[in-house]
This record gives sequence, structure tokens and C-alpha cells, in this order.
Amino acid sequence: MSTLHEGEAEDARTSTVSTLSQSYKALVWRRFRRSIPGMLGLTMVTLLLLTAIFAEFVAPMNPNEATASFAPPDHLSFFTKEGFTLFPVAYSIVEGTALDPVTYQPLTGPDLDHPRHLTLFAKGAPYHLFGLIPWDRHLIGVADGSPLHLLGTDKLGRDILSRGVFGSRLSLMISLVSITLITIIGTLLGITSGYIGGRFDMWFQRFVEIVLAFPQLPLYLTLTTLIPPTAPSSLFLSFVILVIVGLGWAQLSREVRSKTMSMARIDYVRAAVAVGASDGRIITRHILPNVLSHVIVSVTLGIPAIILLESFLGFLGFAVKPPLISWGLMLQDAQTFSTLGSYPWILSPVGFVLLAVFSFNALGDGLRDAVDPY
Amino acid sequence: MNDVVIDARNVGVKFKVLGGVIEAVKDVSFTLHKGQTIALVGESGSGKSVTARAVMRLLSKRAIVTPGTEILFNGKDLAKATATEMRHMRGNAMSMIFQEPMSSLNPVYKIGTQLAEVLRIHNRISKADAWQKAIDLLAEVQIPDPEARINQYPHQLSGGQRQRVMIAMALANKPDVLIADEPTTALDVTVQAEILGLIKALKDKTGMAVILITHDLTVVRQFADHVYVMQHGVVRESGPTEQIFSNPQHPYTKRLLGAEPKGQANALEVGDETVLSGKNIRVTYTLRRGGAFRGSYSKLQAVDGLSLDLKRGETLGLVGESGSGKTTFGQALLRLNTLSGGEVTFLGQRIEAFDRAQMKPLRSRMQIVFQDPFASLNPRMSVRQIIEEGLIVNQIGTGSKDRVARVEKALRDAGLPDTILNRFPHEFSGGQRQRLAIARAIAMEPEFILLDEPTSALDLSVQAQIIDLLRQLQRDRGLSYLFISHDLKVVRALCHRVIVMQNGQIVEQGPVADVLERPVTDYTKRLVRAAFEIAT
Repeated sequence: MSTLHEGEAEDARTSTVSTLSQSYKALVWRRFRRSIPGMLGLTMVTLLLLTAIFAEFVAPMNPNEATASFAPPDHLSFFTKEGFTLFPVAYSIVEGTALDPVTYQPLTGPDLDHPRHLTLFAKGAPYHLFGLIPWDRHLIGVADGSPLHLLGTDKLGRDILSRGVFGSRLSLMISLVSITLITIIGTLLGITSGYIGGRFDMWFQRFVEIVLAFPQLPLYLTLTTLIPPTAPSSLFLSFVILVIVGLGWAQLSREVRSKTMSMARIDYVRAAVAVGASDGRIITRHILPNVLSHVIVSVTLGIPAIILLESFLGFLGFAVKPPLISWGLMLQDAQTFSTLGSYPWILSPVGFVLLAVFSFNALGDGLRDAVDPY
Repeated sequence: MNDVVIDARNVGVKFKVLGGVIEAVKDVSFTLHKGQTIALVGESGSGKSVTARAVMRLLSKRAIVTPGTEILFNGKDLAKATATEMRHMRGNAMSMIFQEPMSSLNPVYKIGTQLAEVLRIHNRISKADAWQKAIDLLAEVQIPDPEARINQYPHQLSGGQRQRVMIAMALANKPDVLIADEPTTALDVTVQAEILGLIKALKDKTGMAVILITHDLTVVRQFADHVYVMQHGVVRESGPTEQIFSNPQHPYTKRLLGAEPKGQANALEVGDETVLSGKNIRVTYTLRRGGAFRGSYSKLQAVDGLSLDLKRGETLGLVGESGSGKTTFGQALLRLNTLSGGEVTFLGQRIEAFDRAQMKPLRSRMQIVFQDPFASLNPRMSVRQIIEEGLIVNQIGTGSKDRVARVEKALRDAGLPDTILNRFPHEFSGGQRQRLAIARAIAMEPEFILLDEPTSALDLSVQAQIIDLLRQLQRDRGLSYLFISHDLKVVRALCHRVIVMQNGQIVEQGPVADVLERPVTDYTKRLVRAAFEIAT
């Protein structure tokens, strides 16, 4: 018997599409690369993760070192009195001698007499990278080692940019740990419920509905206030994660369940039954890999939701306790309107949250279009 | 001549795809005269639909119409027509009916509303007039009781009736050209003939021209005046229908004409050994309807007391229209769904009460090939993994090396190269995928295979090859087949005996020659007429 059947394999149409065998990953990557927002999201998520990992190096200052309280952001400029410089200079904002004619408050402006040149790999506050390697270089800094506040300082005089950089660690850590647990629990329960079906599925789904219908905010507030304020902050943190996971798995398990149910009726699953494959094999070999693409997408889209939740709870003072640093906790400073009016830069952690949420959403969107290449 | 309705010259369409450009249609020219029917014939991917869509200017945004394309409609160059002019023309001067009548009607509107809308878009008439005209149209396409039907929703009509409504819609504004894109492919055979007859009658009555797009040569022979045979986007041959069929010139046309399923089943060396038998099998589905609190249950008897016997080396055809319960019956025999009564004996063992664990030792000896080769292969598994799975599960073979050898042999026996172990299903065409599915079944060296419409999703020439393959495997391995199909031509080519089913019951059974040559019941007669008489 010939191995090439006319009209089947050969395709005489002029086609420049390669016919090389490509793995699933290669196909997904090829499609993903075409999505501009997706690639942007991927780049930004990578940068964000690198920032979190190398926070000590990326942050220009020690996040706990106190300098002047509520110092405004330094003024950046490419011009000195001598003219244009290739590398920007920072001017501190200082009070001048002139007074505001209405309020009689001293007017502020950049201290143009003292330009401070910025450099890469500047010498600054000493630290231990990963708690091990002693070093004192920072990504950006002032050449003479004086404090740099690109986003100003908070009420205790701590550099907001540096705190934001360190805060990314905890905020991302909470989201990643929660989403990992949510994924494992949600996928397992969803597949089980969808595959077994019948009475078990019926009762289990009623339970899922109760979890989904639970008023989330009061639960968070009650549960987190249950913990004594003297408890160590790590205990508090794990409790927050536990609550997020406890309420978060239900939605994913619902989605996975419905995917599993439709998958279980597809012919290739029936074919596997027909060759005598066990339930475990059908689930791990046939259903799980095909559900996983969906799970990956909902994971990337779930991370921003948790970041937002953390910043929201932190703002109310329920997520993380000092001395830990998180974006939500930083926003707590912005609770009083009078401070906010005088020192608007303390809102800048919002920027971090926005950036992180946007990056993960863009990545998730790109992935969603790419995961089904067939 | 001045009765030319469409004069298409050098139509070319390209598609931008990932990593290149595909030329879907190249230099296709045709002319369509008033009152004429031309057929664009070819297998899937030959560019026939794209050509028709290029005429209607209904191509997707990724399509590029190549320069040099010239389409004259009633002497007017369509390339110069604006989008608005085209919109006025569509559904008015030229209209189109599609393959899938289930999805081309909007499910939330009444049929009358949808028909009246088409009328009112292109004509300035009142709502009441449009409604009255819609009733007339339904009568014209021979829908019984049009006054009542017009207030129904699409789901209340059968597939054939929906296609009639689509035709009524297409004809609403008395078009000069009707483009029928595989108008009967999704319909049951008996309905097919009626719909085609209707189009022909309406054509004769209104004098419109018809472009018929199809892969079915029997349809072409019956209805077309002029045929264009397309392959890979190029017209291979064209001419009057009689000439093409009696004296085909191009090798592709010859092959297409020769691809009709023919030949007959292997000579049966009658063994006495019964491989599979079923006695009085019933499968019942419980349907729940109405009321959140007081739902009532009704029983649907999908298979109602069927019996059969299958001898070694024999092929038994199971024929019937969609919904007649043939697939349910076949899967019940394999214990892939639950029986509500009856006896199944496989190789001397009573298996109707076996659970999955008890069935497992038997699984390697009974296999199944599904209808849709795109759904039956897991897209995430390589060819090797797909075929090897049954071997691993049933612990066939002495080790990894032996298993690979078995997989390679199965591939060769299924007519595929044995070098494709690490490729994935999406890289193969429909016919090749069906060969993969067959390879998966025969790798286990079964004695019985359930073939659930294995050829109906395939092109004609590929169909013939798969039938040859199945016959050869049966000869070589002494396999028994239960062959489920609605296509009597394929049944004639493959089966020894045939069972005709309707509404879950056996209507007629016997040797293939007897049943197909001398059908007794009305139902079988209708099936036979629909399958063979259009052709001759």
C-alpha cells in the first residue's frame, strides 16, 4: 500500500506555511508573539518579578530609613546651569524666601543651586542581597550618596519609591501563593466533581454555590480581626492567604467543572474508555492537559484580582501589619484627606498596583488568544 | 450573448495566514447564463466556496482579491461597486443559501419576522403586506400549513423545513442569481432529494440562474447544466454536464468520478462462530420536562428491543436516518452506555451486566472508530501516545521497544508512514486522521470493530480509500465489523448484511443485495431511492 494518498497528504496549493512538526508549546508561543499587549504584559510581568526578587538592588534607598517627613519628590532635569547633561540631575524641593500672597506659606521650588548627578550602580545604603551577599550598590542613586526621593517620603520620612519596590515582594508573594493554592484546589475539585457527576456533583455544587454567595468583605473583616493584634505578622499573613484561598477556589472549580463535563463527552475520551483506560488515566492524560490551558488563563487573570484585594484590605488595615511592607499597607497613609491634600505623592503606591494589574491582565489576554492553537 | 448574468474572469483570492500566504483560488473563470445551473465541484479545500463568496464580496477581511480579477454582474463590474451598492445587491439581485440550516436562522425571531425583514429591507412595503408575502413564499417552498408555520420559531421546524425557509428567504426578492453552498449536505438523504427538487422547480418557474456548490457528484449530474471541476483552487476541467460525466478529460475528474464507493464486501467464508450477539436490547433515556417543583419525567426509548448476530469475518450494516438510534445501539453493544434491558454476548461471555473493571479484559478485543476524526484524537497527544495508549493500558507487548514496533506496524497497516510517531493530530488531514483512528483500533488486535459512520466526514475520494482499507484489514485479520451509516452507497460497498432502523426499531433486515435491490418497507424504499436514483 502506498503511504501517500492522493488528495490527502499532498496539498498542491502554493503554500509557504511550514509543515514541520511543532509541539504545543511552540504553537502557543508563535501565536502569543503576535499579540502586542500580550508581549508587553509579559515584559512588564518579568520586570516586576525581577524587581521583587532584586528589591534591595533596585530600590535606591533603605525602605526603613527615616529622613525628612513628607519630603516632596525630587525634581528631575536634563539641564543644569551649565547647560544640557546626558544623564539627568535631581534637585531637592526646598522652601524659598518668597511667600504665597494668600496663605503666607513659603513657596517651594527646586533647589537649582545644588544639582545632584544621578548615576547607575551608585554607592548607597549597605544591604545583604537575598539576606546573604553584602553589597552597597543600587541601580540608581545620587553620585555623592545623598538621599534620593523620586516619589517623595511618607510621614515617617521613608522613601516611597523604595518602599513600593519592597512592597512588590509581599504583594506579589501573597497573590502568587494564593493563586497557586487556588489553582490546585480549584482544579482538583472541579475535575473530580465534573468527572464523577451524578449525586456527588449535585451536592458538591450546592456547597460551591454557598461559598460563592458568601458576602466576602464582612468575612474578611471578621476573620482578620479574630487574630490577636499581638500575633506575629507571619501568622497574620498566612491567615490572610488562607481566607483569600478559602473564598477564591470556588469560581475556578466551577469553570473547570463545566470544561471537564464537556470534555468527558468528546470522542477521544470515549475512545480512551473503549481501549480500557482507567478513570485516573483518563483524567490525567486526556482531561487535565486539555483543561490546563483554560486554567492557565484564569490564573493570570486571577492574579490582578488578588493584588487589588490585597491593596484594598491593606488600605483598611486588615491585610498586612508593619513592619512588613505591602502596597495596600502603604496606602493606609492616604486615608486622611488633609494629608492627601498637602502631600499628594503618598498616593503613588496606586501606580504600582495599576501597573501590576495592567501587566497581568495584558499577559492573560494574550495567553487566552494563544492557548487554543488548533 | 446578452443573457449572461455573471461573467467572472481570472478570479483569484489569497489568504494571509500565520507564516505566509495561501492562494485559495487562482485564475478561475466562469460564465453564468440566465436560467442556467452551473456546478462548482471539488473536495473540501478546493476553493469552490471561496469563489462564490468572492462573487458576493462576502470574503473575510484577511482575504486578498488578486488584481486582474474581474466579475461582471449583468454587465456591471462588481469590483467598482461601493459597499452600499453591494449591500443592496445581496439578498436582492443575488442571494445565497448555506450548508447549515440550524445556524443560519436566528433562533429568537419567528420565521415570519425574519422573512418579512428581508422583504422590507429591499422593498418599500407595509408590515402587513410583507407578512402576507411571507406566507405566499412559504407556500411557494411547499411548507405545509404556512399560515400556522409563519408564527413558529426555527427550533420548531425540522432541518429540511428550515432549509426550505432559507430558500424562501433567498428567493424573497426574486434574485437573478441564487448561490447554493452545499445546500443539502447537512440533511438526511431522503430530505436532500426533496430540497434539490424544490430548487430546480423554482428555477424553472422564475428563470433565475443557480450556482450550485457541492462535492456530491450525483447531485451535480441530476441538476447542473454546466460543471466546473475544481482542485486546489484551480478549475481543472469544465464543460456541459453530460460531456464531463461521459467523457472526462482531466485525470482529476476521472479520479473523482471513479471515487464513488464501489465494489462489494469480501467474499464471506462463513464461519459459524458468533463474535457478538445482542438479544432484545433496549436503551431508555429519561427526559425531564417543565416545572421547577413538579417536573414530569418522560421516557425516550432510543433503542427498542433490537437483536442481532455478528459472525466472524462478517460486516453488518446498521442503516437509518439521524435520530434513529443506531449510534446508541452500537455503543450499547460495546457497553459504552447503559442498557435498560436485553442480553449482549461477546465471544461467548454475557457482558450486559459487566462494570468497567469487568469489561477491561475484553476492551482490547472490541474497538470503535468514530465519525468525526477531529474530535476522536486528543490534540495534546502525539501519534505514538495515541496509538500506544491501549497497549499500555492493557499491558500488551513486552516493553517499550515492542510497543513501538506494534505501533509502527499498526500505522503501516492503516496505510500511514511509520515515521510520524512524534507528530500531532492537527498536522494531518481528515482522511489521515481517520487512518490514525483505525490504527489505534487495530493496534490492539481486536476481533470486532464498531465503525460509527467512519466515512461520512470525509471527501469522496478519501472515502473510497478508507473503504478499501477496511476491506483489506478484514481480509487480513478476519475482523468483524458493525458498520453504522446513513449512506447506502457505502453500505453496499462494504457490508454483507444490513439492518434498517427507524425510531429505535428494526424495519427491515437481510443480505445487502436483497434489501437494496428489493426493499420491502416504504421507509427502506425511500432510503434506497434517495441514495441511488438521483444518480441514475
